[in-house]
Amino acid sequence: MNKPDKVTHLFKRPEHLAPVNVTMETAYEIEQFLYAEAELLDAWEFNDWLALMAADVHYWAPVRENRMAREAEQEMYPPGTAAHFDENLQMLGQRVARLYTHMSWSESPASRTRHLISNVRAHTTDKADEFQVQSSFHVYRTSSERHQDSVVGRRFDLLRRADNAYGFQIADRTVVFDMSMLLVKNLSSFY
Amino acid sequence: MDVSKFIDAEKGLIKGEIFHSQEIYEEELEQVFARSWCFLAHDSMIPEPGDFMQNYIGEDPVLVVRQEDGSVKAFLNQCRHRGMRLCRADLGNAKNFMCSFHGWNYGIDGELINAPHSDQIYESLDPDVFRATQVRLANYKGFIFGTWDKTVADFEEYLGDFAWYFDAYVDRFEGGMEVVGVHKWVLPANWKFNAEQPSSDMYHGEVSHGSAFQVMVPLSAAGAPPPWAMEQLGKLSQPAGYQFTAPNGHGTGWFNGGMPLMDETILKWHQSTETEVSARLGADRFAIAGHANIFPTFMMLSNYTFRVTHPRGPDEMEIWAWSMAPKNAAAEVKEAIRLDLLRTFSPAGMFEQDDAVNWEEEQRIMRGHMARKKPLVYQQMLGRARYDADGLPGKTVPHVYAEEAARGMYQHYADLMSGKPWPDLEKLKKAREQRERAELAAAASPAPKAASGGSQ
Repeated sequence: MNKPDKVTHLFKRPEHLAPVNVTMETAYEIEQFLYAEAELLDAWEFNDWLALMAADVHYWAPVRENRMAREAEQEMYPPGTAAHFDENLQMLGQRVARLYTHMSWSESPASRTRHLISNVRAHTTDKADEFQVQSSFHVYRTSSERHQDSVVGRRFDLLRRADNAYGFQIADRTVVFDMSMLLVKNLSSFY
Repeated sequence: MDVSKFIDAEKGLIKGEIFHSQEIYEEELEQVFARSWCFLAHDSMIPEPGDFMQNYIGEDPVLVVRQEDGSVKAFLNQCRHRGMRLCRADLGNAKNFMCSFHGWNYGIDGELINAPHSDQIYESLDPDVFRATQVRLANYKGFIFGTWDKTVADFEEYLGDFAWYFDAYVDRFEGGMEVVGVHKWVLPANWKFNAEQPSSDMYHGEVSHGSAFQVMVPLSAAGAPPPWAMEQLGKLSQPAGYQFTAPNGHGTGWFNGGMPLMDETILKWHQSTETEVSARLGADRFAIAGHANIFPTFMMLSNYTFRVTHPRGPDEMEIWAWSMAPKNAAAEVKEAIRLDLLRTFSPAGMFEQDDAVNWEEEQRIMRGHMARKKPLVYQQMLGRARYDADGLPGKTVPHVYAEEAARGMYQHYADLMSGKPWPDLEKLKKAREQRERAELAAAASPAPKAASGGSQ
């Protein structure tokens, strides 16, 4: 029997499961950065949020499907295949610009979101100014008269120290939604 | 069930009750979904023996499986014993399917191989009783459709004249299509919204998707769109094109010169294929690239999203959307198509997000008494249909913004919902078409006191 290749498990990579190895001060800075990012998204300050992205950012959210246990390692679609987001900085810019056209009906009237960020774990990398950071999110959304929904998942970020108000840039982000079939009408926010 | 009191297809007046009623919905599962050809898979989704995927005919889950000999079989994904879902994965590769309730084991062809302790407790395992319920299948150029109905016409005949238009999507290139992505999501709206729109509604694009067109137009250093982008956007400001409707409810529409394209890589590739596609399908079909729907719910767009909408009650649908690309296209073209689709027509896509809100609000409002009492207006290009005109087979109208295909779809829907058997429906449709052709011929023939010619 082939042993499942753990490396293909996005959320089971050895480097993610390893004990946290950053200092308390770095951990605090990273957490505060993620909370600031959430605040910008919830406040509809999308241009300020976009400014947190590194020029070479890759913002990716693979699709996943239900698999039998023996094929569990294939649950997540690999890079270059099915994805909800697969964005560079220019594409993220288009998405942000769309929200300000006043014709983006999914967000006009605007939805109200709350990005709750938790379970933050950080690790050092080969580069002194870059950190591998995992965090869980729960994005609660209400809109129009009665609509409400939740999107929950985990993020795998590469954060790079930067000379900006919040101290870091997002150099790479993988968003793993917990849902297979999305039980929401759309993904009109950022995660 | 008689739904004709809600549907006047000839006048283009339709009442919202058909989007709201639970009673109508239950009847649709039997009269519409169980009696139509429904999309189940594409060859490229299950290439190897044992490869399977789950899909649905209405609310019934179906397993579609590649057999050892390369053929495909499909059967209800339900154990014959207690009705348990036999396979609980969306896709994979299997040598057999064992029910996780009592352990009944089925082959990849749906035949029961073994029931635990069967020699002690059953007289026999008569296949006619114990076999998983089989689906009647058709493979059209790699696209696999299935139906429970033994009396509905063969698939190509069911398509009718639409086959000529379908080929402009699926037979455009040597080697056919292959899957490059998938999205599945749930919308709080009636399934017919996502049948009617791909059949018949190019009209919504300019406003529903105004935000996406605004931000996707590339700008030069001087801040102006380049000439190629202005030419593409001109299709929206000066709309011209056609819409087609089939007697079995299929519909399609397109701008002259194809869909407005904002991605330069895809536009250039599209233009570079003109010689090949024209040689294969004829120059007239190179331009047929817009929206289309095979009734009831297999839709496609010229950007190669292919989708099936599954009904989930009168006020909910699931959309299962596959991104596809020409199999023999260059890798960078396939990648451009994959990225374009997820950025535009996926649940996070800049076009798709806005459709969801329109449909959600449309559905919500149908709860109202007055909202359902007064008929909705489906009268674009009413009375302008012609047969076999401008080199286009079947019934068309000469405008890209039209509702001929919606009227045709709801006429066919009402026909099916009447419960009349398929042979009777075919006679009815033939008589209807003959009457329409005769009326058009009479109107076109020079009458003694003809005041004016064609109203084109």
